[in-house]
Amino acid sequence: MNVAEFRTNLRAWLDENDLTPPPGNHSLDAHHAQHSRVLRALYDAGWMRWGWPESAGGLGGPMILRAIVGEEVVGRRLDEPGPYSMLEVLTPTMIDYARPELAAEMVPRLLSGSETWCQGFSEPGSGSDLASLTTRAEQRGDAWVVNGQKVWTSFAQYASRCVLLTRTGGPDTPNHEAITAFFVDIDSPGITVRPLRTMHGVDEFCEVYFDDVVVPADRMLGSPGDGWKLAMDLLPYERSTCFWQRIAYLYARFDALVDEVKDLGQAADSEMGEAYLALHTLRCRSWATQHRLADGHKLGPDTSIDKVLLAGAEQQLYDTARDLLPGAIELDDTDWRTEFLYSRAATIYGGTAEVQRNIIARRLLDLGKE
Amino acid sequence: MADPSDLELLEDGLRKTMLSTSGAELDAALTELGWADMLTEMPEQAVPLVFRLLGETGSHASVLNDVVQQAADRELGATPALPYAGGGWVVWDYQATTGSTLGGLPLRRVEDGGLLRLADARRALGWWLVGASRAMLALARQHALDRVQFGRPIAGFQAVRHRLAETLVAIEGAEATLSLSGADNPDLTALLAKAAAGKAALTTVKHCQQVLGGIGFTAEHDLHVHVERVLVLDGLLGSSKELTRKAGAGLRARGSVPRLVDL
Repeated sequence: MNVAEFRTNLRAWLDENDLTPPPGNHSLDAHHAQHSRVLRALYDAGWMRWGWPESAGGLGGPMILRAIVGEEVVGRRLDEPGPYSMLEVLTPTMIDYARPELAAEMVPRLLSGSETWCQGFSEPGSGSDLASLTTRAEQRGDAWVVNGQKVWTSFAQYASRCVLLTRTGGPDTPNHEAITAFFVDIDSPGITVRPLRTMHGVDEFCEVYFDDVVVPADRMLGSPGDGWKLAMDLLPYERSTCFWQRIAYLYARFDALVDEVKDLGQAADSEMGEAYLALHTLRCRSWATQHRLADGHKLGPDTSIDKVLLAGAEQQLYDTARDLLPGAIELDDTDWRTEFLYSRAATIYGGTAEVQRNIIARRLLDLGKE
Repeated sequence: MADPSDLELLEDGLRKTMLSTSGAELDAALTELGWADMLTEMPEQAVPLVFRLLGETGSHASVLNDVVQQAADRELGATPALPYAGGGWVVWDYQATTGSTLGGLPLRRVEDGGLLRLADARRALGWWLVGASRAMLALARQHALDRVQFGRPIAGFQAVRHRLAETLVAIEGAEATLSLSGADNPDLTALLAKAAAGKAALTTVKHCQQVLGGIGFTAEHDLHVHVERVLVLDGLLGSSKELTRKAGAGLRARGSVPRLVDL
């Protein structure tokens, strides 16, 4: 598979098959409908299947093809980066941890947009300290019964399934061996989904309550105690292919900003240059990361550097928009407002800026324990 | 093209030489080691290697002149006028001068200079800045582990750890921009890489100086050599601030943002 040729063909296909979202409607419902529409079309044309193994309904080929599809889809603003990125987080997890038959049955539903899934990790009492989570699963005969609460569960209100982390070990089991993952149907009796209102006005995050929810044993992902490893294994994907999509999105928004500030002349040069330097640095770093992954290297704590660069560049871009478009965020109801506000979370979600620096200090600089 | 084991040998040899000599003596030693041939036959490997090692060892040589001459297809051994921050010009002499340049580099101001292709030289300086940054980070890291206050190594304090983490992020980011081949737009790629390296080096100076505390402010500690070197090299061929502004002006002229690298 020639990567450059793949990209050229994909671009030509996207030029011919217009998947631009219908104008005017910026609601989350509209985003969800657009997400399903774009995925369906891309799946039927094969694009969405490249880079995934044939055993799970894919067409094979190197992983880097997925990053190229993601860059085009998100960079062209056909799908929002949030919903699209869920594919990259959840699909590898299913392929690596679900029973092969379950992965083969379910993955095509996700990739074709006929279903969306969510990721039940964080809890009210377990944010940065994820391993302290308390949602319990107890075995009763052939099934497991789940009780507890998740929070920050993106798009749970649209999801059909949830990749859920639970505690199965007793009080004496070390945290990292006490966690078990399940693939749970969201329409199971006992599950309540409640969207959270957030400061940027998009209710994508939910609270999810589990009240005696029965999960069949064959929906366990991996074995009892594999949950922590599953969560850690997912990070390299989140921090490689997902980041590449997000970077494509930020470049698209930066293109728009270049256009909007063109009348400012030289006065904008320094700040625009700073924003560009941050984005370019991030893109170069992420490029190297994609290639390391493609060459078969195992990604680890080094991706904390990518994460710090991404959060910094993203916030800097929107700070620049606020500085150079005075009032656009505060006085006018523009996309810049929503995005500026959302960008404040970039140093919080997916591992806070502080946790990343702790990892870099401990694992990359070998500074020992705090 | 040299194979990896040859490069390792070369790196060891260069490092030893740079640790024992500097200035005009190092120029002579590099000539003996075949610098001119390296520059013509394997510049993609030799330039990053030699300039990074200058930074790591804290040594200096006037090899930047050769990179500039080579890019212009001119004979090596000359001292072209090089642009300096603020619209100034300098030359990098081969012999030690009794000039006023910070940190003892043989640079002196001249009145005027001509247009030069600077992409290769900017990348070379970028590697030098990254090498110096890595040297400073290594010094600060070791100090944080050795220095005990309040009954424990200061490396245990999160405020110190986060400064050093921030430093590594800046250096790794800059190195990523330097590693981009930049075939699409060599001038812009090199400009951004020099800007990123200069910025990372200044960030490194700030954090490492702080972590090293009082000892890092003395002339008996090695930090100052790197700090002074970085300040001079950041200004040479355009400071990080100037180059960044220039990149911003380029966006305005073009009306869109060059991606510069595809998967």
